[in-house]
Amino acid sequence: MRDVAVVGAGMIDFGELFEQSFDDMAERAYLNALDDVDKEISSDDIDAAWFGTLDIAENASSGLGLSHPTGLFEMPVTRVENACATGSTAFRSAVEAVRAGSADVALVLGAEKMRDSAGGLIEGASLEQVWRGRGVTMPAFFGLRATRHMEAYGTTREQVAEVSVKNHENGAKYPHAHYRFTCSVEDVVDSPQVTYPLNLYDCCPVTDGAAATVIVSEDVVDEYTDDPVWVAGSGLATDTFQRGKDESLAGFPATRQAAEQAYEEAGITADDVDVAEVHDCFTITELVTYEDLGFCETGEGGAFVESGTPHLDGEKPVNPSGGLLAKGHPIGATGVAQVNEIYEQLRGEAGAVQVENDPEYGLQHNIGIGRDATGSVSCINVLSKHRP
Amino acid sequence: MYEPPFTRDRDANERLAARECDACGWVSFPEFRDICKRCESVGEWTDTELEERGTVQSYVVQQRLPDEFETPLPLAIMDVPQTSGGDPARVYGLFTETDPEHIDIGMKAEADFRRVFDVDGLPVHSFKFKRPRGDRL
Ligand SMILES: [Zn+2]
Repeated sequence: MRDVAVVGAGMIDFGELFEQSFDDMAERAYLNALDDVDKEISSDDIDAAWFGTLDIAENASSGLGLSHPTGLFEMPVTRVENACATGSTAFRSAVEAVRAGSADVALVLGAEKMRDSAGGLIEGASLEQVWRGRGVTMPAFFGLRATRHMEAYGTTREQVAEVSVKNHENGAKYPHAHYRFTCSVEDVVDSPQVTYPLNLYDCCPVTDGAAATVIVSEDVVDEYTDDPVWVAGSGLATDTFQRGKDESLAGFPATRQAAEQAYEEAGITADDVDVAEVHDCFTITELVTYEDLGFCETGEGGAFVESGTPHLDGEKPVNPSGGLLAKGHPIGATGVAQVNEIYEQLRGEAGAVQVENDPEYGLQHNIGIGRDATGSVSCINVLSKHRP
Repeated sequence: MYEPPFTRDRDANERLAARECDACGWVSFPEFRDICKRCESVGEWTDTELEERGTVQSYVVQQRLPDEFETPLPLAIMDVPQTSGGDPARVYGLFTETDPEHIDIGMKAEADFRRVFDVDGLPVHSFKFKRPRGDRL
């Protein structure tokens, strides 16, 4: 198997982009990614593309949804859909193909129009299945973990809120973030209740966006950069709480499975991760993810964030970009933008949110719901400054 | 229900009938398929019935939902025991007639057959949970 490197990353400013179409966003993210490659790259160099979108606003039901905005026709384009892990799964799929030798230069493009269609997600999740999850919305799915985590481990409401405070502090410094305000623990616990125990500031916004990444094989990497970031490992798993495992009441076993795969492939442990972009669709999601990824012991996620360890200037910065809470969560673009942020962090090009611990390994993580909202999928990619 | 999914799932929605995996004891509810989600065997199954009472494992109170729902709507993950013993089924439970202040982890709740809501004017029936009568505050 061949080693694979990231050589270009582009995105657009995330936000409520009513004036931009799906194709407008995708085109700009693609051009930004090509521009970002250190040495010259042309569209003719691209052998194949992977396209991540849930197509919530119905713009792109095949690979043609990528070909139109990019002009990349007459080549293999694979559309990937994997709930909120769509973008990271598209990246993982592209990496596997380049590793296996079916392409030397591949494009990963993720995009989502979240604001052009009103009902979609909430109605789908809440009305789909009568008994198995009817009436269960996204905040409920994650809030159930929060209630249980607080009861089981004594995690406080304030500790859960700390995640939002941290991520908004980072997002205020991050140029592409949807929300660029800061807030206090009081602001979070006093914001309107969405689904007890989660309030408005515990939830990520509804955001439009697009992001693109260029990856290449070891055989051609020198043609594109002298400073590549390598793909060290990846993992992907599904789970459902209906299997009756108690760990799934206050956490996500799928993340534990995906992390085990990714760490093993990269030959590292959780301790080696220097910076991470993780799924924080809700505050509690990030808090339990610290535990699922092995950044701290089970039950200690609250103390972990309170200690400052995952802050921008902490020992293990998590979500320097502001995460989904501040940056936004345009589903297909989310994982791709996270990969891009880790790429910039490892190259020391992350500007105002550059972490200071001279990172060698960075991790990107998404978790998604599925079916009747009882299932979950988790995808993790680990990048490294050093060739594996 | 006139739509195929509702007709197909009607038994599961309207009865507390379940199946227990003979190999590992996992309870399949509301599904009636052949592959066990826990031990992955294409095993033998024994028909079983669930008690009309379960234990709250975690809960939330939903405040913002589509118009078909009443809010605030308490919702729990419930462990519902088999009448014959063994592992409980782990399911979502919508609550009714329960003050959000009076729901807690570890609390027992009774299953009650209800009209859950309407879809295109047609009633959908299923179980909801509520605080047992003797425990009402
Ligand atoms: Zn079994």
